[in-house]
Amino acid sequence: MNARALRWTLAARARLALALLSWLVLIVCAGEAQAQRTITVWHPYRGAEQRAFDQVLRAFERDRPGVSVQTLAVPFDAYAAKLEAAIPRGNGPDLFVDAHERIPSYLARRIIVSAESAIAAVPRTSDGLDLEPIALEAVQANGERYGVPLSLKCLALFVDEELWERAGRPSLDSLASIAAARTSLPTGAYPLVYYASNAYFHSAILHGLGGQLFDPQRGAYAFEGPAALESLALVQRLLADRVIPPEVDGASVTPYFRSGRAMTVISGPWLVGELGDARRYRVAVLPRVREGGRAMSPFVTVEVAFLASNAHAPGLAAELATFLASPEAARLRASVGRQVVATRSVWSEAELANDPVLAAFRRAANAGRVMPTHNNMRLSWEPANQAIRRALRDPQATRVAVEQGRRRYDDASRPLPAKRSALPLQLTLGALALALAFRSVQRARDPEFRAAVKRSVPAYAYVTHAVVIVALLVVLPLVLGATTSLYAGRDGALEYVGGANYWDIITARGGSLFASGTFYTVLLVTVLWTIANLTLHVSIGVVLAIILSRPLLKLRAIYRVLLIIPWAVPSYVTALAWKGMFHRQTGAMNAILAALGVEPISWFAQFSTAFTANVVTNTWLGFPFMMVVTIGALAAIPKDLYEAAEVDGATPWQQFRHITLPLLRPTLLPAVSMGAVWTFNQFNVIFLVSGGEPDGATEILVTEAYRWAFTRQAQYGYAAAYAVLIFGVLVLGTRLLERLTLGKQGGGK
Amino acid sequence: MATLSLRSIRKVLGANAILKGIDLDVQSGAFVVLVGPSGCGKSTLLRTIAGLETPDEGSIKLDDKDVTRAEPRERDIAMVFQSYALYPHLTVRDNLAFGLRLRGESESKIKARVDEVSQMLGLGALLDRLPKDMSGGQRQRVAMGRAIARRPKLFLFDEPLSNLDAALRNQVRIEIKKLHASLGATMIYVTHDQVEAMTLADQLVVLNSGKVEQKGPPLEVYARPASKFVAGFLGSPSMNFTDAVVSDDSTSAVATGLRAPIDRQRFGALERGRKVIVGIRPHDVTVRKGESSAHGYRDGAAPTEIIVSVEVVEAMGFEAYAHGPVGGAPFVARVEATADALPRRGDKLALSVEPAHVHLFDPESGRSLEGAS
Repeated sequence: MNARALRWTLAARARLALALLSWLVLIVCAGEAQAQRTITVWHPYRGAEQRAFDQVLRAFERDRPGVSVQTLAVPFDAYAAKLEAAIPRGNGPDLFVDAHERIPSYLARRIIVSAESAIAAVPRTSDGLDLEPIALEAVQANGERYGVPLSLKCLALFVDEELWERAGRPSLDSLASIAAARTSLPTGAYPLVYYASNAYFHSAILHGLGGQLFDPQRGAYAFEGPAALESLALVQRLLADRVIPPEVDGASVTPYFRSGRAMTVISGPWLVGELGDARRYRVAVLPRVREGGRAMSPFVTVEVAFLASNAHAPGLAAELATFLASPEAARLRASVGRQVVATRSVWSEAELANDPVLAAFRRAANAGRVMPTHNNMRLSWEPANQAIRRALRDPQATRVAVEQGRRRYDDASRPLPAKRSALPLQLTLGALALALAFRSVQRARDPEFRAAVKRSVPAYAYVTHAVVIVALLVVLPLVLGATTSLYAGRDGALEYVGGANYWDIITARGGSLFASGTFYTVLLVTVLWTIANLTLHVSIGVVLAIILSRPLLKLRAIYRVLLIIPWAVPSYVTALAWKGMFHRQTGAMNAILAALGVEPISWFAQFSTAFTANVVTNTWLGFPFMMVVTIGALAAIPKDLYEAAEVDGATPWQQFRHITLPLLRPTLLPAVSMGAVWTFNQFNVIFLVSGGEPDGATEILVTEAYRWAFTRQAQYGYAAAYAVLIFGVLVLGTRLLERLTLGKQGGGK
Repeated sequence: MATLSLRSIRKVLGANAILKGIDLDVQSGAFVVLVGPSGCGKSTLLRTIAGLETPDEGSIKLDDKDVTRAEPRERDIAMVFQSYALYPHLTVRDNLAFGLRLRGESESKIKARVDEVSQMLGLGALLDRLPKDMSGGQRQRVAMGRAIARRPKLFLFDEPLSNLDAALRNQVRIEIKKLHASLGATMIYVTHDQVEAMTLADQLVVLNSGKVEQKGPPLEVYARPASKFVAGFLGSPSMNFTDAVVSDDSTSAVATGLRAPIDRQRFGALERGRKVIVGIRPHDVTVRKGESSAHGYRDGAAPTEIIVSVEVVEAMGFEAYAHGPVGGAPFVARVEATADALPRRGDKLALSVEPAHVHLFDPESGRSLEGAS
């Protein structure tokens, strides 16, 4: 190559590089410009609400050329978790829609910012901001307003026009007047249907009687005292007078109303979508608790447009928040999305004012009470629910139930153990590590040891992947879990407390060791649960295996497959199916009992029946394993042993007792100890079938641990201590079983 | 001690008739051996006696009591299985005591019996062992002990020695014989091994495809087999069979390389030219010294002569077997095993046989022609 050609080539390359560079710069700048005009919005809406929301956003874009709004409809279940994960990393939305109750939690995680600027831009009417005062109250925290309120959700009274007319158009002004309609309704129909055993629904009555579930001022549980007792007595009376049907849960309200068996139901806006055109109905405000008394007052949840921290376009996000609350947007959200919008001015317009459903919900919301946002509010639901359920089940125990609720709340919200210095632990661990290091160095110096290690290098290569996987999947979580148990805190804010969690659990926090819900009581239930299950699994499994092993049985293969199916179906599916079968009104169990002339049973009302329901379900799940193991073990018993025994004079029963059983033992024992561990930790069945009902009496250790971790303000440390104790109990238990069986084996027969 | 009588026992399993009408009488204190090849029905017959199988037809009487449909436990019979069928989870002591316990005997009586049996069989040191910790021979003895401990009316043995090695088998065989003598019990013993059959039996019952071929004292059965099957089954190496015809003067049966004298007293006057099967045991021939040569036999010159062209010689040490074809069929002759007398491959061996040792069978039925005419 000559010099000229070389020069030409270099020049060409330089030009090419320059061109590429300028392109790159252009692309980056364009991207920058693009980013400034794009805004990301997350929302949990579906169906009509989503359509309305999209229309609003398109309107926003239309008014602002160059602005593009990207929306993401996030499934509701994972909504909060996704927000909490994405926003701090800068991958989150600029604006998102969620309920106001989450403000404290979002504030604690610093993923929302003040929305005062956006609220300031909201138009004013003659009497202040164009937003419902109750909605503005809801977004208030620490003297600032976080988020722009969009809509209100609360309970209202749905009235079945046809039944109401048949009942002679009774007044719906008070519970008493509704109750009076009972006699004029067709059989099977009730004057009122609602989820009576749920604290959210019960609160409406409680508020009407001047009580409350939770005192936001003091930040304290308040479901006690005369108002609480009176509210429970009121519902007990409604139940006793058959004004409301027994044992209605959230899901069974709709069928009642759709099938014309409820003159009125108390439900939320979601029922509108579920009803469709099934019944002619209207919506009214909730009735008074008694004639001349105060009206029932539901909790109000406000849907809020939140401004995310870490936003790419905070200005635009604030602008959008203001726009979402504007009359223009509110009109769309109300007419298309059927939302009870928080923008006041649109309600004076004819279209909305004349909408019977929305207007009624608005009236109900304005008579309601903002759901407190205090952190401990969420802790109140479980104790209150349990107290209400127990009181409704057993009116004699109302006072006890209420006291128990209080205790449960205190338990869950108890002051955290004192923070302690982790120094002693760190020192010990440090010293241990040092000793270990010292010892390793010493050993490494030993030439023999070194030679041995060198020889074993190929062996190490073979086991490395297994060791790494086991370490990552088994050892590490175990160590982390055990470490977590030394910490305490709520909502993920953990502090080192040493063994205080264990101390609290072991001493039942100073209370009676065998009170309901203590470690010992739950352990006792767990042991009972394990023994009951194993007994049934093994006996049913063995009997079926023996029947299936008969060579003369026809269609043996088909029976085997059929009997193994319960095992093959995922356990939660089975658990849910069985829960359905144990339902008081609609379950197959009570249908069978009814056919036999037995009174229907409220399966989850007493410990014995709820426990039985759990055991039945888990037996259904558990016997196939024992059966399969036994079939294998039976096939391994030589036929001539039976013949020898027969000739020796054994009856069939004696053959089973002296040959089959003892020879099944070696195979069954490992299966039994495995089954014991599985059953001991059988979360799905307990959680899904009884859910711990009644009053947490059927909880086992692992579901109890779950409750501490996930329904009692994420007390992970306490839950981890439970988990470590479960681990300890299981290790001890299996050791004991081993010891017992080894001892027996030596004894011969 | 008991008597047993079987009358026309029939048993069909699926499409196969396993037992085709068995009649058998067992005297009290007898040692009866059922022998036959695999699949002859001997084990099924034993299991039928035990009650583990029920016959389709026929009757079983034990001490004049009909037990055809009785459960095994109602028969008071003990059985020793081929696999021993010891209860693997029980010690020797408990294995021995098992049947007694089931019968609700008192513990003191059980202990006495177990001690007695363990002494008889030398099991004293093994009493606390589990079956898995013992050798085959020890297990075999425990299996016998378990049978003895109950003192049943009847002992059944189902090939009890087949899982032992040869040396142990011989030893245990003798022990069983002694045991029978000392207990004086009635025993029925199934085997496919003709040595066991010959040595143990008072009464030998040869079974073939579900039927009794011949029964009688073992030596009698051996000496005068009623059929070609029995003749071939007993004795090792087994009897030589050659297709032949009766000679013109009816004094011998003749085939290529064979002229066998016919004992008129036993066989009567056989029609000349009749086709017969000649059976001669390898042990019943003698080598005609000096005449084993290449020239073959001369008709009429020698009354009896067998010429074997030796193909293979098996020297066992104390004796030797020379193999070669005679009359188109393989023939084995026992010869002296001394090194200088040992025939070699290619030799023509001239043999003679006593008329008393010549067996004749009908080619069609396989039955012995003895006393036939």
